[in-house]
Amino acid sequence: MALSPFGSRSPSMTVHSPNTAIRLRATAAQNSITGPAAAAVAKPVQNGDRELTEQLNIDIRERYVKDKKVGEGTYAVVYVGHLRHDPSSLVAIKKIKVNAEYKDGLAMDAVREVKYLQELKHPNVIALHDVFSSKDQNLSLVLEFLPGGDLEMLIKDSDIHYGVADIKAWMGMLARGVWWCHENFVLHRDIKPNNLLIASDGEVKLADFGLARSFADPLFNMTHQVITRWYRPPELLYGARQYSGAVDVWSMGMVFAELLLRVPFVAGNTDLDQTSKICEAFGTPTEENWPGVSKLPYYIPTDKAHLVPLQGRDFFMRQFPTAGPVGADLLMSMCALDPRKRSTAVQCLRHNWWTIEPRPTKNEDLPRKSGGTKKMGDDLTRRVGELDEGMFNSAARQLDFGMK
Amino acid sequence: MATDAASRRDEDEVCPVCKSSRYLNPDMRFLINPECYHKMCESCVDRIFSSGPANCPVAGCRKTLRKNRFRKQTFEDIGVEREVDIRRRVMHILNRREEEFDSKRAYDDFLEQREDIIANLVSRIDVAKTEAQLQKYAADNMQSIRTNQAIEAEEASSFQARMTLEQEEARLRRQAVRQEYETERREIQAGREDFLSRLASGSSTDAAAIAREGHKVLLKKSSARRSEEERIRQKQAALRSETKRGSTLSTVDHGGAADTGLVKGLRKIKTPEPEKPYDPFMGYVPDKRDYYTLQSYYPSQYLDPIRNDARMLAGGYDLREYYSRTLLEAFAGLSCFVGEEISQRDAANITKSTATEGAAIAAENENTA
Amino acid sequence: MIEDDIYRASSQYRLWSYTEPSLQFLRATTNAVASERVRAALHRSRETHQSTASSAAGTPLPESNTDTKNKDVECLTPEEELVLVRYYCEKTLELGETYKPPIPTMVRATAIQYLRRFYLTNSPMTYHPKSIMACALFVATKTDNYYISLRQFADGIPGDTKTEDVIAPEFLLMQGLRFTFDVRHPFRGLEGGVMELQAIAEGQGQPAPHLPYETAEDLQQGLLSIAPPPVPSSSMSDRIARAHGTTRELLKSAAQMTDAYFLYTPSQIWFSAFLLADRPLAEFLLDVKLGGPVTATIPAPETDENGLVNPLYEIRFKLHHVLTECSALLQSYTPLSSDPAQMKSLKRIAKKLYHCQNPEKVNLAATKRESTQPSSAVQSDTGIVNSESETERLAKKRKLEQGQAVRQDDDVFGPELVTQRTK
Repeated sequence: MALSPFGSRSPSMTVHSPNTAIRLRATAAQNSITGPAAAAVAKPVQNGDRELTEQLNIDIRERYVKDKKVGEGTYAVVYVGHLRHDPSSLVAIKKIKVNAEYKDGLAMDAVREVKYLQELKHPNVIALHDVFSSKDQNLSLVLEFLPGGDLEMLIKDSDIHYGVADIKAWMGMLARGVWWCHENFVLHRDIKPNNLLIASDGEVKLADFGLARSFADPLFNMTHQVITRWYRPPELLYGARQYSGAVDVWSMGMVFAELLLRVPFVAGNTDLDQTSKICEAFGTPTEENWPGVSKLPYYIPTDKAHLVPLQGRDFFMRQFPTAGPVGADLLMSMCALDPRKRSTAVQCLRHNWWTIEPRPTKNEDLPRKSGGTKKMGDDLTRRVGELDEGMFNSAARQLDFGMK
Repeated sequence: MATDAASRRDEDEVCPVCKSSRYLNPDMRFLINPECYHKMCESCVDRIFSSGPANCPVAGCRKTLRKNRFRKQTFEDIGVEREVDIRRRVMHILNRREEEFDSKRAYDDFLEQREDIIANLVSRIDVAKTEAQLQKYAADNMQSIRTNQAIEAEEASSFQARMTLEQEEARLRRQAVRQEYETERREIQAGREDFLSRLASGSSTDAAAIAREGHKVLLKKSSARRSEEERIRQKQAALRSETKRGSTLSTVDHGGAADTGLVKGLRKIKTPEPEKPYDPFMGYVPDKRDYYTLQSYYPSQYLDPIRNDARMLAGGYDLREYYSRTLLEAFAGLSCFVGEEISQRDAANITKSTATEGAAIAAENENTA
Repeated sequence: MIEDDIYRASSQYRLWSYTEPSLQFLRATTNAVASERVRAALHRSRETHQSTASSAAGTPLPESNTDTKNKDVECLTPEEELVLVRYYCEKTLELGETYKPPIPTMVRATAIQYLRRFYLTNSPMTYHPKSIMACALFVATKTDNYYISLRQFADGIPGDTKTEDVIAPEFLLMQGLRFTFDVRHPFRGLEGGVMELQAIAEGQGQPAPHLPYETAEDLQQGLLSIAPPPVPSSSMSDRIARAHGTTRELLKSAAQMTDAYFLYTPSQIWFSAFLLADRPLAEFLLDVKLGGPVTATIPAPETDENGLVNPLYEIRFKLHHVLTECSALLQSYTPLSSDPAQMKSLKRIAKKLYHCQNPEKVNLAATKRESTQPSSAVQSDTGIVNSESETERLAKKRKLEQGQAVRQDDDVFGPELVTQRTK
């Protein structure tokens, strides 16, 4: 992608190849209106009958062949395809459906996904090879093909056994992906196990940038209605409109805990329930442990009798014995209630858990599972912020994109 | 058809050079030279080429032939004869082995390429170019060609050896069984005679003891035989594994060279590296900057209200993220000289096609596969 | 420099950076293709008009007058197209101002760059900038995190603009943008530079990593001893604030309306503008970062006694030339609306465009509606006046196109295309 400025390609574009579709249309029009005589007149037109911009799009589109459908949702259809000239080069083609109910043009999640994936290139972020449009005004994203399923699949499959070295390898890849986003000033805002796809070589890739946005400049608001509930940090549950990369770090901590426990750690049924479960698990946020928290819009004070004290290191060590004391310490730093006390992605990666024994499992030795292609299809067709459980699908999330 | 076959037979029976026929000379032998594959009788070869290289006597063929290259024709069809020769020669040079390639596909590509070369030479397409390629490859890869030839020879001979070994083993086994049967029969015979004579000479109360003793002798003998068999088996197994190890050793140490001009997709030589400590950043250096040193505070009247806004701070909004972004954007690309860099890139791109990107994806898939 | 490599990864560098000749070549190609298509389309429309003239009672179109009939249409030149696009870029800035609250500068700047990028491979003769402009601003609100609902957005446009007119060219626009929505602006960089200067002025500055021996005091002393500003100011922070304001205005106008984004990087753009605002201040910052000073009188980087060129000095020297060029480009800009001569020429171009507008692409909203969701409502006020007969002709054409679109609907890639390139 880096080597295709179209300025350089333009010499070839001065030669206009006839576009069969357009020619057909032109001929049809001529035939029915003015008879065959006009068709002859229209002939010289055909050579120039393609805008430069259409030509570019067609060039890209013709580079790929789609093979079979691997998933379909309300939002998108996913195909496995390959490069026309090389059948062994597999790609996933995500065709975004035109949403009839959404009258405001291309849906926001598609806009975001395209915008940020065009800029982020990292081994732990799903690669966007190309984007093109088809005649019926549908957008197709050509994405890296990731047949290894997702982390959720591995967590839920009781036939798969994994240990702390495997978790360390997965968490390392996740943390690098998140760090890279933040390094490029992008908040992912939907980190959860089924958005962490696995490549055929075992590499974990951060996918689904439908809720991503760049860091807000001072005094600009962001929406708090992001991140799938179980992975949503307390500041968003309290309605904060100015926040930081710490929101993604919380989600990362929740994924870490889930990898260790093999069940979601704090799984609330409603936003309110989620808040109270977080309080039960980690302690009740107060002005003492989180200065200013009471100023957040949806903060509900808890009466003294029901205050849960802030959990310390021994809680994490008790709750997550498999992580070991150093691992528990890292987890605790990701799960600080006060976002200012939470580790940043770069701080997480500087933690000494990564370098102590056991060494993270090599990619080729990581547990894996078959049936990942279908899973990739499903993962890419899901709407953003949705859980796989049918329970929450009915409650359509209303995104609040307003700035003020 | 019949006349055709008849005429061919006639032709076969007459030397095209001296016109002498087998009818008159029943011992006549025909020879060919792989330079031009023109057939002639042995006496013509002796006559024309004994005093050194000379031109082929067949009308219109000016090829210089040497006597030592004349040989008997193997196949009736001279076209087949020629193809087999070419094939043998090409395969002798392009003798890469499957284990030298990155993937099955690369190996298949190589096989296909080799067939193309053979086909070209057989049907005389681009002969000069193909020969040149082949010669260049042969010169560049002399070492690897030799190693692979040696491996092939070794494989062939070790196959031969294995066959002989197996045959020998079978023969020994048969012999041993026969021998065993003989000995056993003889011993039983002898035992029985001994038993009878002892019984005849001794008292009846001893009969049971004598019988036990005879049996014991038999047992002792057969266990001794078993241990001998075991020893032979072990020896043979050791022999087998030795030949196997020998061949694997030689395939490994020849080490695939880097891609040579002609053959693509060869495995790179891998030298095992000591495992480096795990780098959580995988080679990136976080926060490294060249133009500026990021500070944790910058004076700004515009930002002061935020520094004191409890709600913004409680939400986790972090001005350090803003500082790092503004400072990066202040200098990012300052020494990217677009005019210079883009014209260089354009120039490089003219030689490359748009397929570059596809190739990159393919390579990526290759790596992840 | 690491920061430079980070910029090189952006789509702006990868896809939207040009040399001056390549930019010219691209525009000329686009213009040539569009002209050919316009001529052909007008030709077709004339033929159609003639054969249906007996049944259609409409007034004749200007281009189908007998005396102009056999003459070739005069198309816009690439330069004229550029003037037209620039005018609509200025209009975009104004349009953003009409909203309450006004649409942020950054969003408007993104919209302007979308327009400029779109018209590199599309011609105003094919798609009138007036119909693309509103859509560009709307798309920018979506991509730049300032989303306003389409209804609200359309209501904010002066005059009677329908939502479907705004959204109709969206897909076309995105395709022209090659589906890269990220625009790297110089605004935030300017803030960063100003923050650095403020810190130095207050004695809290830190040197660049390769100059570790400089102290905050050295830096502060250096800053205080620079040449006086073009306009006298009470204090250093006042001077910085003034330069900041002037630069910001240049970035909002001149940087947007010229080819600066295509030819230079955002940091070079803000430095160039800053040089125009307060040369000594800008040069001080460059000297602090790269060493200097560099003046036009020093011809080329000298090699030291080891025969080596100081790489930083080489960069500084090249940069001096690039920034001078970019400053000149920014300085060359005068708003069209404030210049009667330019306005006059603009009017001439607009009139010319009226005659060479591609009739087949006029009504985007209707075309889009019919290709995606057929509806009976006819909508036709996207900027050009349609005579009765033209509307009729378009209606017929659309009907045909609709049939075509339906057939294409069932394939993601559209129909299979046989590309026969003449080589």
